[in-house]
Amino acid sequence: MGFISRIKEQYAVSDDFFILNDYLLETPVILMGFNSLMDWTLTKQNLQTYINTAADTGLGLEEFRTVLGQVETASGMDKASAGLLQGKLIIYFEQENSFIVMDTVARTLDRSITPPVNENVFQGTLSSFTEDINSNIGILRKQIQSSHVNVSSYTIGSEETRQLTLVYYEGHADVNLIEKIKMQIEQNKHQQIDNLQQLSQRMMGFRNWTLVPNLNQTELPEEAANFLRNGRALLFMDRLPVAVVLPSLLWDIFVLGSDRHMPLPLMMFLRALRVIGVMLTLILPGTYVALVSVNPEVLRIELALSIAQTREGIPYPAIVEIVLMLLILELIIEASIRLPKNIGPTITMVGGIILGEAVVQAKLVSNLLIIILAATTIANSTIIGLQQSLSLRIAKYIIVILAAIYGVFGIMEGLVLVFAYLSSLHPFGIPYTSIMRCKKEVNHG
Amino acid sequence: MRRIRRTAGSLLCICLLLLNTGCWDNRDINHRSLPLVMGIAYHENLYQIVLQIPEPLESGISLKILTQTGKTINQAVDKISARMESSVDLLHLKVILVEKEYAQLGLSDSITTFMRSREISPKALVVICDEKLDTFFEHVKVSMAPKGTTLYDSFEKNAGWNPQMALTRIWQVYRSIHSYTRDVAIPVYKSGKSGTIDYTGSAIIKNGRMVGQITPEETLLFNSVNGLGTQGKIEVMNNASVLILSNSTRHRSRLVHNIPYLDIELTLKVSIVETKGTPTTKLIKDELQEVLLQRFEHLFDKILASKADILGVGQYFRNKLPRSELSHWRTDYLPRMKVKLKVNPVIQNEGNLKLS
Repeated sequence: MGFISRIKEQYAVSDDFFILNDYLLETPVILMGFNSLMDWTLTKQNLQTYINTAADTGLGLEEFRTVLGQVETASGMDKASAGLLQGKLIIYFEQENSFIVMDTVARTLDRSITPPVNENVFQGTLSSFTEDINSNIGILRKQIQSSHVNVSSYTIGSEETRQLTLVYYEGHADVNLIEKIKMQIEQNKHQQIDNLQQLSQRMMGFRNWTLVPNLNQTELPEEAANFLRNGRALLFMDRLPVAVVLPSLLWDIFVLGSDRHMPLPLMMFLRALRVIGVMLTLILPGTYVALVSVNPEVLRIELALSIAQTREGIPYPAIVEIVLMLLILELIIEASIRLPKNIGPTITMVGGIILGEAVVQAKLVSNLLIIILAATTIANSTIIGLQQSLSLRIAKYIIVILAAIYGVFGIMEGLVLVFAYLSSLHPFGIPYTSIMRCKKEVNHG
Repeated sequence: MRRIRRTAGSLLCICLLLLNTGCWDNRDINHRSLPLVMGIAYHENLYQIVLQIPEPLESGISLKILTQTGKTINQAVDKISARMESSVDLLHLKVILVEKEYAQLGLSDSITTFMRSREISPKALVVICDEKLDTFFEHVKVSMAPKGTTLYDSFEKNAGWNPQMALTRIWQVYRSIHSYTRDVAIPVYKSGKSGTIDYTGSAIIKNGRMVGQITPEETLLFNSVNGLGTQGKIEVMNNASVLILSNSTRHRSRLVHNIPYLDIELTLKVSIVETKGTPTTKLIKDELQEVLLQRFEHLFDKILASKADILGVGQYFRNKLPRSELSHWRTDYLPRMKVKLKVNPVIQNEGNLKLS
């Protein structure tokens, strides 16, 4: 089967695929491409300019072809296919059974660089990563201008290909870590990767059942640059507007690179706040359950009486009460992400009514619980990274249940459990609870 | 297969955990009665227990006063608990009010019970009531404002406590029962006029039994020697009244021919609060010294008479007497003891006005 017929068989069903007969310096050629991926009018004009220039300078066909692009023999279908899907123009020479993959004027299918959507910047660089992998690496290169930033790209997947790029700071990153990551990518190159779960499991070989995210992510180039300087590796996937940070560590929950734009005491204060936020998220709901139903002797008598007063006539035990309200709170958070921005405030309003007043007036829960819930939610929001805060939200349920069983002692048990779990994680042999610094002295790359 | 087995195993573990917890026995705080004050009397081989329980209502708090008798304290408490809508939890018991007659009989058994109990905190205060419990609590109910901490506030150090009141906790009484060289003083109260309760001095408790009583002024001195006198006020003869700002003591003990000698040096830093006429600093100092020495003499006479070492001076001879001898401390050594008190008054300031 000929080259053209194979191409036709594969792509002719798509209406945005075009195949045209044309002449190039009096040689018949066939032009192919996707007009959804390229601006055909401009591309055609460009091609014409080339032809005119060639005719004026009296360039031969052979020389002209090398100007347009690399000449390939038509046996290699793969290159033609890849070129087509990347929005390139294929110029096929029937007489010689060869083709050229020519660069085209691409349609702008990418958004411009905008401020971050999912992360907030407080006095730092405001641009964020976009879907285009090359712009992302470009942004990063602007942020960190060093000849030691190495970029290695891989094409992954067999049926559907995708570009994966590993970026690391040579001399700062641990050589063993980089080698391990590279080995993992090489080994699993053929795997189909559509999302970060697959990236973590199929590509990096992490366990699937982990409570904390194996891959940290950021959409801020400034943070990404800081991660690089501290010896982490970054992975970019085409069409994914975040930098994936490897390995992900506990410390990332508390520390933001842009904190360092502030004086040291202010920075320490902010970080201490986040640590307190984490502890409160974990402990507060559990403490309520423990103090109200298991160990009221811990409370001061005045507080004990006023709590008893607020709980007068409430039908459920503390554990049912708190789980119910936590569930509603989770639903509100989830709903406010899900809803479009213009009807989002509805949820805030309705949720506010439920949590603020109605549920207390209906004597379903005590109003102390509302305070606890509000404090927990606020504390939870101080954590950096939505995924990390989600895992903390889950961890707090373990503590609530243990507190309902064992009281104050159960809170301690739960904390031991959570921290033991965190300590048991070691992505790429690096303990999750460690603090990663730039490897200046050891293991120079 | 392995995965299914593992999942089933962990599920089973969780189920067993839920079965084993016993968390259905946990009572929420609004289903517990938290008595703050417990009164104890002992008449005709029966304990009379009075519990003062604050009941949270939607609008404020009302006080419930329940009384029962029983062969043991626990029986009486159980009887009260059985008659209540919620169970009685002694976890928050802060004050134990003992009727004077029972205190004179001896508190050892009750104190031991309280120490043994896992519910009652050994930090609860022990107070003696110088009248029948029924009339006392009736007075509390009728004339004191009902709030969560009624009565308790009068005794608690960071609320209504004054430096001339003794402050003794269950563990201290327990310690005194078993110690050779230390006794305690327990404050004595009775109902007063116009919705107050009056402090009438402190009881000298020897081995858990009330053997005498000291006045509030002597208690202030007692507290000062124990380092608790700060903010106490002393009236100096006819000329002035001073406020104790800080106090410190130094002791020197020696044993010569089996006679214990103890020098106590009490340094009081005071501020002048009120004066009559135009006294000089020196005059105030001298009179303060005189007043305190006189009071100390009285106090010590009472200690000797009752043979109860509430100042704990025996502690300073623990390294000088063998243990076998220590056991006779109260009977053999304490009555022969020679104490010399030296008072160093320091007038730290004269208030906002200078002395002329």
